[in-house]
Amino acid sequence: MFEVWSTPLDPAALRVSMKNVEAGGFVVFEGWVRNHNEGKTVERLEYEAYEAVAISEGNAIIAEATERFGLLEARCVHRVGSLELEDMAVWVGVSTAHRGEAFDACRFIIDSVKHRLPIWKKEHYTDGDSGWVNCERCAHAGMALEEATCKHNAPTLSEASYYARQIHLKEVGQAGQEKLRNARVLVVGAGGLGSPVLQYLAAAGIGHLGICEGDGLEASNLHRQILFDAQSVGESKATLAAQRLAALNPFITVTTITERITRNNVVKLVADYDVLVDCTDNFETKFLLNDVAVLHKKRLIQASIYQYEGQLFVYDPKHDGPCVRCLWPEMPKPGCVGSCAEVGVLGAIAGVFGTLQAVEVLKHLLDLPDKLQGDTFFLDLLSLRSHKVKAERNATCPVCSTQATITAIEAEAPVELDATELNGNLGDYALIDIRERKEAEASPLPVTPALRCPAGDIHLDDLHIDVPEPWLLVCTRGMRSKYLALALRKAGCEKVYSLRGGAPALEQVK
Amino acid sequence: METKTLTIGYYALLREQRGLSEETLDSTAATPGELYAALKNEHGFSLESNQLKVVINDAFKAWDTPLNPGDNVVFIPPVAGG
Repeated sequence: MFEVWSTPLDPAALRVSMKNVEAGGFVVFEGWVRNHNEGKTVERLEYEAYEAVAISEGNAIIAEATERFGLLEARCVHRVGSLELEDMAVWVGVSTAHRGEAFDACRFIIDSVKHRLPIWKKEHYTDGDSGWVNCERCAHAGMALEEATCKHNAPTLSEASYYARQIHLKEVGQAGQEKLRNARVLVVGAGGLGSPVLQYLAAAGIGHLGICEGDGLEASNLHRQILFDAQSVGESKATLAAQRLAALNPFITVTTITERITRNNVVKLVADYDVLVDCTDNFETKFLLNDVAVLHKKRLIQASIYQYEGQLFVYDPKHDGPCVRCLWPEMPKPGCVGSCAEVGVLGAIAGVFGTLQAVEVLKHLLDLPDKLQGDTFFLDLLSLRSHKVKAERNATCPVCSTQATITAIEAEAPVELDATELNGNLGDYALIDIRERKEAEASPLPVTPALRCPAGDIHLDDLHIDVPEPWLLVCTRGMRSKYLALALRKAGCEKVYSLRGGAPALEQVK
Repeated sequence: METKTLTIGYYALLREQRGLSEETLDSTAATPGELYAALKNEHGFSLESNQLKVVINDAFKAWDTPLNPGDNVVFIPPVAGG
């Protein structure tokens, strides 16, 4: 069980709750408020949580740990509110039959809590200063590019023997292998589709292979993401993938990008590559990759899957064919069709479509006959029914036609607004008070909000915010509202903002 | 109104909501737009036609394209899984 408490934690009482007659051991971790951080002297702390998400995600972590380590009892309690030095901020306890699993599970839970939960810490320093310390989950700082050159472990095998069966194909030969060696391919998403794509492209000898993936490995990934081992849950998927590919083929160079692809970084990230392979799982990134492929003349090999079926599409700037927006000018609204997480998917379906993507990449790089170009391929693996559907360029396509309205990838507007930026134009925004009812009653806003809707009542997959955008979200301090605004942006709501500093900042707006 | 025999295919969410992937039926609908409206009404599909693509005989077509006897009509929602 995961809980958020605003009262002091009582370790003696918590310990008693972990008793289990089958347990041979109990491991506890206590997180305390210390008097220093990064060279500054800390006097006290404040913790704030986005409780609805923290509790549901916290319980998911406990469930994962229970399943993975065979726990008898598991509990984690996190404090919120004001804490003094030496106070207990977090308590994790696990009971198991044997000690090894208990130590591992306790470590897994505290690391996952720090990494995955929307809980923020404000430190007050002795010099009178104070600052919010981002939770690890929310750290979006800078680009994390690491070059993992896979040239270590100098192999005793020769390149010629590695690729022998492929070179033997008359359409490939040494010349074709050379084309693959000189190719630069970026695979976006190392998940269900990315697993086969990365492995087959690495094995085929793509000379420069980029892996762009910001997520860590989760237990629910494993049934379809066969690049990864069960023991690696919690680790960076991009890093794990690079290690696996280095072992698979020592003759190629793999670059890992552990940053999530966004409108702010996409142009820079794709610059070094000629082919983009879209293995992502959301419309926002799929449309972004289409737009950048059209505007920056990259080939795009895209697949999307749904339960037992999927779609394959190729955009080729050298061919006068359609792009994704020729068919779907507007991005579908999130939630209108389910994601893998919502509707489920059979793992092998991702394997089929990822493999089809790898084949198309190779067909295009080797210029093999009958490559997919402009058509969309639909395949239902239940009935084994398929359709290869012709599509034409759309004369009014918003990105690839002469009437294009999207002519550059524009950076995202900042999600946080300062009080000073709202002087004189607060009325342009629909003010949404996302505080819990008790908070809102205790300190009413100086302006009547357009909507009162506690954050816990806002469900991203079933949105009912019936006021027109732009929305300005307000909470008590500006942390929950920022988190929710970022989540809404990700779900496709473009004009949503958070008031920095929360309700008190509203008093300063003139 | 002329009755035509058509083969209808469903993908993704529509396949789930219809409970099958393909059927043959007789319809008086003159266009895929009319056909989808009737099927949506009959089976309670959650998607509007402007959220879908329609494929007739393996090519994407406009919703007001005239239907002919024997046409293979497939309704396709967008999907994003990966």
